Amino acid sequence: MADRPKTIPTGHGRHALLTSLVLMTTLGWTQLVRGDPQHDLMLFLSLEGIDVFSGSDPALEYSDVRSTADILYTFNNDRFRFLGEFVWSDSESELERFKAGWQANDRTVAWLGRFHTISKYWTTEYHHGQYVQTSISRPGLEEWEDEGGPMPSHITGLSLQHEYDGAGESAISFGFAAGLGSMFVGQELVPFDLLDPRSGHDLTVSYRMTYRPDVFSTNQVGLMVAWNDIPVVSASAPALVDLNAIRQTTVGLFADWHWTDWRVITSWVYFDNELQFVNGDENDDFVLAYLQAEYKASENWTIFGRSEFGFDEDDSIYLQLLPTSIAHRQMLGVRWDFTDAQGLTLELADTSTQGDSFVHDHFKEIRLQWSAVFP
Amino acid sequence: MRRCCVQLLTLVAITLIAQASLAERAVVLVTDKDSPIDELTTLDIRKAYLGIAVTIDGRSVRALRMRNDERLNQIFMQSVIAMSLRSYERRLLSLALKYGRPRPTEVGSLQELSRMIVENSPSIGYMWKSDAESDSRVKIIKVLWQEP
Repeated sequence: MADRPKTIPTGHGRHALLTSLVLMTTLGWTQLVRGDPQHDLMLFLSLEGIDVFSGSDPALEYSDVRSTADILYTFNNDRFRFLGEFVWSDSESELERFKAGWQANDRTVAWLGRFHTISKYWTTEYHHGQYVQTSISRPGLEEWEDEGGPMPSHITGLSLQHEYDGAGESAISFGFAAGLGSMFVGQELVPFDLLDPRSGHDLTVSYRMTYRPDVFSTNQVGLMVAWNDIPVVSASAPALVDLNAIRQTTVGLFADWHWTDWRVITSWVYFDNELQFVNGDENDDFVLAYLQAEYKASENWTIFGRSEFGFDEDDSIYLQLLPTSIAHRQMLGVRWDFTDAQGLTLELADTSTQGDSFVHDHFKEIRLQWSAVFP
Repeated sequence: MRRCCVQLLTLVAITLIAQASLAERAVVLVTDKDSPIDELTTLDIRKAYLGIAVTIDGRSVRALRMRNDERLNQIFMQSVIAMSLRSYERRLLSLALKYGRPRPTEVGSLQELSRMIVENSPSIGYMWKSDAESDSRVKIIKVLWQEP
């Protein structure tokens, strides 16, 4: 993996500084708002063991243990709202979300700051709350930028949410977001860094429309659209030498539906990428999708499976630039919620990643995870 | 014989009193006595307890929960929220994670519930009707459940 350019420094000192900034800003804002504030602090913990093995390519095999802590803080005072989410793991520590909001009325909220894109369903459903999602892995389509995700996950800018009441208890909501997205560095997308405003990131705009037949249930269907202007750091990888920028348009559909003990989550996203090379543009389009089914066998046991697939993605020159992105995956798993706030999950998967060429890397994965939320 | 009759009458009287007391057993929604809230629909109550914004006179209604009364919580979950306690807790987690809505504040005693309701107007809480009637700081705005 190529080194990041000097314009995107990393380090725990910067995160400590940013954390201090978060706390100071929050405390400052709380002095400006009236009434007694309402807070909530949650800690999502997970410990995951993974074993990857491949009959065809031993170089792909590895075993690892990963621990992750996700701290979520929310603040609400009449119309003012704040949300901060910080993730610490073996491989990274990052301020994932940091946004201040204004509740204009019961149905409209405006947010300013860093947030997750509304053009990815799973991402906005579970964020980094590992305990809340049934499976251990997330679909390749929904992966974060540094895990081979094919589209920006983090936006720094403005978002608006508005909801209309429908018939009965139904609702239709609309979301709009605009801000700085990701740039392509080495073999991955890199989101905008709040402490590096001159990093050269460009505009991303996204829109979502959701219909829920009952505002109190999780059943929903919706449409997502995004336009991402992705600058490329050409010197960061040999494959990017002649590439200046990528203009990416995505249109997606999602559904999340419960029938008694069954739940189905699916999302289908069409990608249209315009790769702007020195010698001219190349267009690349494909579809990535996943379908996850969950069956609640009892109060504490859930059996689930997921299929990740696509159309024309095998020949994509854009995905070839993202060798770790998931091309296909067939997964089965079981989860045991052994207390009200802790779960154990086992997952088996047959997986292909994009690889460095049009020939995918193929391997099998076994994952075992403990996840919890406190308090 | 006379002693047996007295005992029988006493037993009948106790049974009738107990039945009358049970008949009065009800769970009510309360707010502070000076609150602008005079009524809330069941839909709004469910919204407030799921952290969805409900405003009265331009101010968000805060929902408060009792932590230690298992029977009270069970009745509230079944008759108002229409979810099991575990499903409700999971839903609150999900909503906090997705929309940044803090989970309803939990309190450990009736006294604390009354104090929080008064100090954080407009707030709502649920309690046994008999407790609400003996607390001068709160007013009943809805009967949520009554012993059949």
